[in-house]
Amino acid sequence: MMMQRANILMPVAIEATFQSQPQRGMATLKAISIRLKSVKNIQKITQSMKMVSAAKYSRAERDLKAARPYGVGAQQFFEKTEIQSEDKTEPKKLLIAMTSDRGLCGAVHTGVARYIRNELAKDDSQTKLFCVGDKSRSILSRTYGKNILMVANEVGRLPPTFLDASKIAHEVLKTGYDFTEGQIVYNKFKSVVSYQLSTLPVYNAPTVEKSEKLALYDSLDSEIVQSYLEYSLASLIFYTMKEGACSEQSSRMTAMDNASKNAGEMIEKLTLTFNRTRQAVITRELIEIISGAAALN
Amino acid sequence: MTNAWRAAGLTYIQYSNICARVVRQSLKANLRNDAAKRNETHVKFTPWANGKPARRATEEA
Repeated sequence: MMMQRANILMPVAIEATFQSQPQRGMATLKAISIRLKSVKNIQKITQSMKMVSAAKYSRAERDLKAARPYGVGAQQFFEKTEIQSEDKTEPKKLLIAMTSDRGLCGAVHTGVARYIRNELAKDDSQTKLFCVGDKSRSILSRTYGKNILMVANEVGRLPPTFLDASKIAHEVLKTGYDFTEGQIVYNKFKSVVSYQLSTLPVYNAPTVEKSEKLALYDSLDSEIVQSYLEYSLASLIFYTMKEGACSEQSSRMTAMDNASKNAGEMIEKLTLTFNRTRQAVITRELIEIISGAAALN
Repeated sequence: MTNAWRAAGLTYIQYSNICARVVRQSLKANLRNDAAKRNETHVKFTPWANGKPARRATEEA
């Protein structure tokens, strides 16, 4: 997938046309040098993008370490109470897609979108989408535009803050769509070179209150449960945003590294073709001059 | 038992964010600058209906 991205930047097809051209005449020399220059520029761009994302990545990873407890803590509650959505007859689902506005980062966004598309392919009548980031919107709006409830953009330019997350959580709660089971779809960061598509469950208050193991927790009334669920939604969103941002930057680093490598390969090949063509032109001119001189004698 | 902020129509998220903002504002000057960065948000929302954006992006505190 990353390689595909890189190939969009530098279409390999161009090479083929150049290999067949040298016989056609002098103009190719100029054409090759123009192409060479543009590929060199692309390489410069991808290299600097790599540097930028490397710096952003190290910051995102540091942030993620601090944000992990938010997510783990919030998940613990759901695991301990063993909540399950009981209302199987008419489940109203909500999928929250955690992506960002920025592209050129391998398959992080397409992975999220593909998971959601597969979910929607099963049953799209009772499922709504909350897209965080323009990328998931642009991928999903064509086929499942009717399922989109809300789009949040301006995500990914700056590292996500808790305030961003709480605003998103607030919008999720106030959309008026009363979901019985929700899922946050995000990329979980594993290492610099890998991330994994994961989901986190989200429940609404009635489902939580029906759970039998809720008695594990002392003195809970519906007020506290509601407040806690609101807060835990914000925490989970914050956590998944951080995971997503970190995966995105690491993936962009790899993607840009590959793109620079591909550009390097192209530059090598083009330089070779350029030199060969130049040599051929010189040789031809020499032949013309020598044969002209020989004819005069 | 209903809390005053709940009765005023706030969610816990809004309530806790207001508290957080007050705490940040009451920090000493050298710490406040750092904390102020955490008090920013740029996310914009666009509600969708029937496969189209329903109205322009709204900015809300």
